[in-house]
Amino acid sequence: MNALKSEPFVLNIGPQHPSTHGVFRVKVTVDGERIIDAEMVMGYLHRSMEKLAEERTYTQNIPFTDRTDYLSSMSNNLGYCLAVEKLATIEVPDRGSAIRVIMAEFQRIASHCMAAGAFTNDTGAWQTPVMWAFREREKILDLFEMTCGARLTCNYMRIGGVAFDLPKEFEPHARKLVDTLPGFVDELEGLMSENEIFLARTRGVAVVPHELAANASLAGPMLRGSGIAWDIRKADPYCGYEKYDFDIPIGYQGDSFDRFIVRLEEMRQSVKIIKQALDGLPSGPHSTQVPLALRPPKGEAYARVEGPRGELGYYLVSDEGPSPYRFHIRPPSFINLSVLKQMTVGHSVADAIVALGSVDIVVGEIDR
Amino acid sequence: MPTRWWTGQEMAEAAERLVPGSVAKSTDAACYLHVEKMLEAMEALRVDPETDFLHLTNTCGVDFWDHFEVVYHVQSFDKNQFGTLKVECWERDDAVLPSVTGVWYGAWMQECETYDLFGIKFEGHPNLHRILLWEGFPGWPLRKDFLSMPGGLQPGLNEFAGTARRDAPPVVVVE
Repeated sequence: MNALKSEPFVLNIGPQHPSTHGVFRVKVTVDGERIIDAEMVMGYLHRSMEKLAEERTYTQNIPFTDRTDYLSSMSNNLGYCLAVEKLATIEVPDRGSAIRVIMAEFQRIASHCMAAGAFTNDTGAWQTPVMWAFREREKILDLFEMTCGARLTCNYMRIGGVAFDLPKEFEPHARKLVDTLPGFVDELEGLMSENEIFLARTRGVAVVPHELAANASLAGPMLRGSGIAWDIRKADPYCGYEKYDFDIPIGYQGDSFDRFIVRLEEMRQSVKIIKQALDGLPSGPHSTQVPLALRPPKGEAYARVEGPRGELGYYLVSDEGPSPYRFHIRPPSFINLSVLKQMTVGHSVADAIVALGSVDIVVGEIDR
Repeated sequence: MPTRWWTGQEMAEAAERLVPGSVAKSTDAACYLHVEKMLEAMEALRVDPETDFLHLTNTCGVDFWDHFEVVYHVQSFDKNQFGTLKVECWERDDAVLPSVTGVWYGAWMQECETYDLFGIKFEGHPNLHRILLWEGFPGWPLRKDFLSMPGGLQPGLNEFAGTARRDAPPVVVVE
């Protein structure tokens, strides 16, 4: 009897598909249903931000940082402003730093809501968990709107502080939200983490061993999911993070499930930080006066923050001009993708979707 | 305990101790390595228990008109320290540097990006291709003389007072 003939088959996932979370394409070569090769094709959203930033002043570049990672614009603002402050040695008042912490942590929760929700969507829990997560994210975006008028591209941080002080109604609303958020996280965890189908889809899928995670420059929940307790907020505190009491959750297996659980736990820790920051919110100015045409001294600075997706770094080189000589972003989700091939080869196409979902990519940040 | 940011001199001292003759020069910000010995020195800095720079955080290129610099930001988890390495490349038309993917696997996407935007080729890279732009895109956008390259366009608007770089040296038009 003749054996059934088979040959490798190239399948495009994306570029326009809900599971790729944006305009992103993975060319997988499959043998039967097993993936034998995966190649990423990106750049559909490339807007050449690093070049554009070289022609604009330091303050004019802040809105660009919103549009790199549009799901965590506050963290991006913060990373960029810290880099400029480091370059020009500008001190931020305590109140400004505390507001930054509150906003960055709210942004982390909002972003993880999106990540966890979309990830459950990828595993087949169609729409219910993602809508629950969006409901909570919506409340956080309302807080942002209350503070700075924008929901997604906030453009709230400024060099030397933040753009406006918090409005009067912010604190009661924030406190109310902070009280209800842990309940939502418990609810989502109860819904998903004991679900047979979810466990079967995520446990042992897309494993990243911790040696690979360190060698492949991974950061954020990808790194912590693989068991490396590394968080910039603890390791290299900025904005007074050393004053707050919180823990770093880590996973043990390095699979998709661990990354999901790490994100959920990080939301609880963020709530803890926000509570402490609201309790200890100092009075005083929210920003320092910075010259409009800022000309930092000749030199370079690399500043990093722990964004929702990992280490978010800004590398600036100044030649004493009014605009940066070189503006480079270290995009965490771009670099986290470097192990996508190792995560998917040997699995089925359906697992590749789970692997991609567990990386939590934002295409605006990958392509810049 | 916050991260210990190594100065260029400290990095140079460590690199020189591990691989003699690998350091070209050092400044406050960074340690410059010789191209011939950079891979050896980086591997030594990665595995040495005292330096332990096993995580390459960030890699990017910078164009200084007459030469390129490729920057490597490295850090250690256990020792909680951070250092900056740099390599200079004085060739513009045929800029080639060795790839560090053999030392830190995570460099491969960032080296693709540097190749894509600066035109610096990384020898020994497993799959060097234009990652953000398409194959055949004219010119290398993040070079400072991109304007005079074929297909080069003015980035941004012309009318930002005082932002145009008038002090830039004249550039040779590339055919």
